[in-house]
Amino acid sequence: MLMIKAIIRPEKVGIVLSELSDGGFPAVTKVDVMGRGKQKGVRVGEVFYDEIPKVMLIMVVRDEDKDDVIKIIMKNARTGTKAAFGDGKIFVTPVEEVYTISSGSNEL
Amino acid sequence: MKEVIAIIRMDMINKTKEALLQNGFPAVTGLKVMGRGKKKVDFTLIESLVSGAEIEPSSLGEALSEGHRLIPKRMLKIVVEDAKVKELIDTIISVNQKGHPGDGKIFVLPLVDAVRVRTGETGELAL
Repeated sequence: MLMIKAIIRPEKVGIVLSELSDGGFPAVTKVDVMGRGKQKGVRVGEVFYDEIPKVMLIMVVRDEDKDDVIKIIMKNARTGTKAAFGDGKIFVTPVEEVYTISSGSNEL
Repeated sequence: MKEVIAIIRMDMINKTKEALLQNGFPAVTGLKVMGRGKKKVDFTLIESLVSGAEIEPSSLGEALSEGHRLIPKRMLKIVVEDAKVKELIDTIISVNQKGHPGDGKIFVLPLVDAVRVRTGETGELAL
């Protein structure tokens, strides 16, 4: 199993979540985070912002579902037709075990 | 070393922290998160209240009955050595298991290294 952590723009959360739900991946956890990327933040006039508000979506999926989930996030988290800096990053890490607390079973 | 990420109900955090302390896991990082699970939450009760003509349909009602609504949850992150993972998971499950959907999930992730900032110790010494 894999954990997918996607850091995306806050204004894209609604569309990404509903598309994930429609795509058959309803289970997701959302955390508000602050961060900066390779561009070191953004400059607006004289002011430089290096803590930009973002939203991290955390999902744990089966290995074979990884590509589908990433495709859905990629498609819906981009801005405009060409996409732009700050659209986000997706990280994938392995998950060794999963437990469902309500049943105590070790499956997703 | 393993990182154990548990997502539990908001109101179970104090009981869980207490139980973890009793069982020798004092170190915990907690986050407030929003989330949804596999199961769609049944909002028919709220919908029937709204459509029962007693209350005018409001934007709040519509937001509540949306299919992909997120529910507030607590996320706990605990890093332990491999041998203690089983005990930790049993502790979390025994406290939080009510047998209902929404009790939460536990994920176990491999961790490459840990560093204690104060001394610079690495590996299991840093835990």
